[in-house]
Amino acid sequence: MLQYLIILLDDKSVSYCHYELPSDVSREESLMPLDTLRAGIVFAMKENLNIQFVYPEQALSAEYAEVIESIDHTKIKPEAQAKEADVLVLAEWKKQIPDDVEGATCIIRASRKELQENLEQVKDLLGKVMRLNVVLTDIEAFKDEDVAGYQSLLEALSDLLIDQFKIGRMVQLNLLTDRLLLTQMNNCGAGDTTLSLAPNGKFYLCPAFYYDDPEQDVGNLKDGLNIKNRQLMRLDHAPICRHCDAYQCKRCIWMNCRLTLDANTPSHQQCVVAHVGRNASRNLLKKMAEQGIHMSDTHEIKEINYLDPFNNYKKWK
Amino acid sequence: MAKSITFIVTKDCQLACKYCYLVGKNTKERMSWEVAKQAIDYILDREEEFREESVIWDFIGGEPFLEIDLIDKICDYLKTEMYRRNHHWFNSYRFSFSTNGINYHTEKVQRFIEKNRNHLSIGITIDGTERKHDLNRIWKTPEMEQGIMPKAEEERGSYKDVVKNIPLWLEQFPGAGTKVTISSADLPYIKESVLHLYSLGIKEVNINCVFEDVWKEGDDQLFEEQLTELADAIIDGRLYEDHACSFFQEHIGKPMDRERDNQNWCGAGMMLAVDAAGMFYPCTRFAQYSLRSKSAWIIGNIHDGIDKNKLRPFLTLDRCTQSTEECITCEVASGCAWCQGENFDAADTHTVYQRSTAICKMHKARVRANNYYWNKLFRKLELQEYEEQKRKSNCKACEI
Ligand code: SF4
Ligand code: SF4
Ligand code: SF4
Repeated sequence: MLQYLIILLDDKSVSYCHYELPSDVSREESLMPLDTLRAGIVFAMKENLNIQFVYPEQALSAEYAEVIESIDHTKIKPEAQAKEADVLVLAEWKKQIPDDVEGATCIIRASRKELQENLEQVKDLLGKVMRLNVVLTDIEAFKDEDVAGYQSLLEALSDLLIDQFKIGRMVQLNLLTDRLLLTQMNNCGAGDTTLSLAPNGKFYLCPAFYYDDPEQDVGNLKDGLNIKNRQLMRLDHAPICRHCDAYQCKRCIWMNCRLTLDANTPSHQQCVVAHVGRNASRNLLKKMAEQGIHMSDTHEIKEINYLDPFNNYKKWK
Repeated sequence: MAKSITFIVTKDCQLACKYCYLVGKNTKERMSWEVAKQAIDYILDREEEFREESVIWDFIGGEPFLEIDLIDKICDYLKTEMYRRNHHWFNSYRFSFSTNGINYHTEKVQRFIEKNRNHLSIGITIDGTERKHDLNRIWKTPEMEQGIMPKAEEERGSYKDVVKNIPLWLEQFPGAGTKVTISSADLPYIKESVLHLYSLGIKEVNINCVFEDVWKEGDDQLFEEQLTELADAIIDGRLYEDHACSFFQEHIGKPMDRERDNQNWCGAGMMLAVDAAGMFYPCTRFAQYSLRSKSAWIIGNIHDGIDKNKLRPFLTLDRCTQSTEECITCEVASGCAWCQGENFDAADTHTVYQRSTAICKMHKARVRANNYYWNKLFRKLELQEYEEQKRKSNCKACEI
């Protein structure tokens, strides 16, 4: 069931997920027209959807602010517009972590290499925020020989978390703590629970589809929604994922469409990255137990002997 | 299980069959020896990835025998290489062909058959009576290449050019069967066509309706009538004793269990096809020349290899995930077939997970005729047995 509407206020709205903004998005006139914005809000109200506004770097006029404030919502903002952000997307690795990140969930988009090189800053951030989401930007390029490297990166991050836990800050880092708290899938939900509205007044499964090709819309404000094969966005129609317990995985259908050519089928890379993460969560839980650290609502994670559930497909058939 | 590896050796054909799904047929794309060799090397170099016990090296076109020289060279190379590498397929391989039969008698084809006799399956497509065959299977004209279709009276059927080769074929492959595809216009000729094929000496007729959305109002009734008449002819003429027709199967038309009967129908993805450009496909139906409205589903090429991600949707496919609730709970579901390529081509999005049900009313008609066939046949056999028993007990009574 649809629950969320993501409204891209501008073509240059910050990316908070796996996709990159195309370099040729023009700065001029890329803002969502006010009428479209109003219509989008009315649509969300009628469908009972929670709105998440995604902001561009440039400031919006008072007129926009007024329309935005006419409805309860979440603000996803770039660092340049950090004020009042509920979710703050950090633009680059900084020596100095700004103070205004404290109340927000922070998102950092980074490759594994960038993370590795900036562990000090991650440490500082974990000391400041209550939740940090790391969005990996290089999942597509992940190779089987990268497993060990990624495992040790996650181990280093686990140690940083433990340091925080020891001083009583139960900070969350999506890559490691989400799986501790989940007992069922908590995927991105594109096309199933979440839809996006672009500045052109058209709906998309998620912003990534819009930036790839604006022709891939799934309806528009005038004629309503038209999501074909919507069942294929659901977990019960995803033959590999429905057998999986890497509950923290985004199950990115945009990456599925690019890599396996079918929205309901994940790539080997996505599964392996998610499973290395799942197993690292298991190790973190063990370490916490050894050190007497308690976090409420955590659940045991059982040991498994695969990194890609696809390898088991013959058993399900 | 056998791996099926298909070489699309040419997209050319002497015929221009009207129902042919190969919408992009052309005379230009012929496989070169270099491409064929590289494909073979790629596959045989990866014995550990191709673990199937046996292999079917399949050659299709267009018309494969137009490229008999290339095929001969490919097959020689395959045999030598499988032997040289001590490959586990060396003891378990077949070469398989679907041909229009026109060049079957030619010296080159015959020499090839002689050379590979023990590892060969050849299917010749003949659609039935001359009238039925020539309705669709007509000779191509040079004008057709420019998109100009001949007038009905100028069409030249190919029946005579094929049927002359049937005795030789049956002599060389006595158990061979033929494949017949039924489209809307063929419906009135089903009965006479199957019986005609039997009369030519063909014992096994594999026949099915096309999966495309071509069926018109009333086609199902016509289909049911034809199959019922065919059932009568087969049973009354005792043809069932040594002939088979794939329309009549004992176990079709029953409900299917969500869990136990959840297998996929079609083998796309377990197979592999390679075309003249050296592209790999999950089955030939995913190559561009077979698709109407989608672009090809390419899973790799002979240079970069196979991208296994692009095979994952095929390997994890099951019946229920791609079917609607109506099909899952359908009371006559068993035997209702689909083709993954047609599903993909007809789907609303880029997916192999949307089952096309254009065949629905035709399957239901077939089920009714099939039920009639088995009820009639069982009753006949029952009565025969009863008569036989009676005769025996009468004889016993006489003895007393
Ligand atoms: S499908 Fe979901 S996870 Fe993937 S890019 Fe879109 S929003 Fe992000
Ligand atoms: S790890 Fe793979 S199978 Fe599991 S939810 Fe993620 S994408 Fe799906
Ligand atoms: S297509 Fe029709 S006959 Fe076939 S399973 Fe579905 S509902 Fe039944």
